[in-house]
Amino acid sequence: MTTTPDARPTTAFEKTPHATISRYSAMEALGRRLDDALVILSLGGAVDEWYNAAPHMREASLFQQQLGCVTGEALGLAVGLPHRRIVSLDTDGGLLFNLGILATVGNEQPANLFIVVWDNEQYQSIGGPATHTASGRVDLAAIARGCGVEHAYTVDTLEAFDEHCAAGLAADVPYLVVVKTDGILQPGIKRKHSDGREDKYIFVRHVEETEGIVIMGPSEHN
Amino acid sequence: MQQHAVDAVVRGLKRAGISVVCYLPDSLFKELYPALDADPEIRTIQVTNEGEGAAIAGGVFLSGKRAALVMENSGLRASVEHLARMGLGAGIPVFMLMSYRGDLGENNWWAIPHGITMEPVLDALRTPYRVVRHADEIEQAIVDASTWSHTAYYHSAVALSGEIVR
Repeated sequence: MTTTPDARPTTAFEKTPHATISRYSAMEALGRRLDDALVILSLGGAVDEWYNAAPHMREASLFQQQLGCVTGEALGLAVGLPHRRIVSLDTDGGLLFNLGILATVGNEQPANLFIVVWDNEQYQSIGGPATHTASGRVDLAAIARGCGVEHAYTVDTLEAFDEHCAAGLAADVPYLVVVKTDGILQPGIKRKHSDGREDKYIFVRHVEETEGIVIMGPSEHN
Repeated sequence: MQQHAVDAVVRGLKRAGISVVCYLPDSLFKELYPALDADPEIRTIQVTNEGEGAAIAGGVFLSGKRAALVMENSGLRASVEHLARMGLGAGIPVFMLMSYRGDLGENNWWAIPHGITMEPVLDALRTPYRVVRHADEIEQAIVDASTWSHTAYYHSAVALSGEIVR
């Protein structure tokens, strides 16, 4: 058993001290900067928190429960709608599931993709076992920079996060911010009770309306 | 692949309205990838694994454009998690074009699992597919599968084998 400050927790669900920001407060700050962007987000507590923290973005957000899919889907959306700002709300567990997407983002250099990684150093939705970032050794922003995502940062204050949101949403290169969040689920918020299929239709109809296109149209013969 | 088969794939993709292709290169399709990269009407995205490619293709669908995931059939196993969550969970479709490694006639021991697992995995994912072994059937198979996916909002696949990839 090690006793160094950066060591993996000695018990499975013990929280490490690297994370400090309230994720809900960070979401509120990001939400205040969003208007016509499209958002794809990951699973777990972040779903209900985003649903409440940015209610004006509900129809513009694709609520997923898909570990490892989120930034990939956001890249596909960014490629398909190059004139539109796309925001990926990924997580430490979700991004670690498929780090290769960082290499693909680095090579593709989408000009309209802003990636936020909520890093609470745990698999929160199953009770909080540590992810690899809890060790203090695994640096997701450094991995992203090594993959060619030059603008990749880690923040541990709300003020710094807000500044990176302003920069990332205005950037013409892919931009990634790892946010060290405290892992405290916002108490008293409303649960989102729709499933992924309903959420997809809400999102697709919003894209259709705001883009003036048809994605899931009528059959040839009705 | 023979050039006429490469041309048939490209024609099929265009007829199906596909403008984005995600791929992880393999040897049976090695002549296809440069042709896709060079085509001005097709945006190619090379990925690090096929699950990632499925996710990107799903995102392209959500933008109103059409995508294909091109890979060896071993990539189907790598993308099962992503395909199941997107397809069975939300109804986000991915059209797949695969080389059929491990079909009868295969002479590489390492490719045998690809042939044995491909059709059961597709069946487990409730994914309809067509195995094409003659070049003159490629174009229509691609159009049919892509059309079905954009009607059912679910995955479909075309696997190319036989004379096409020998």
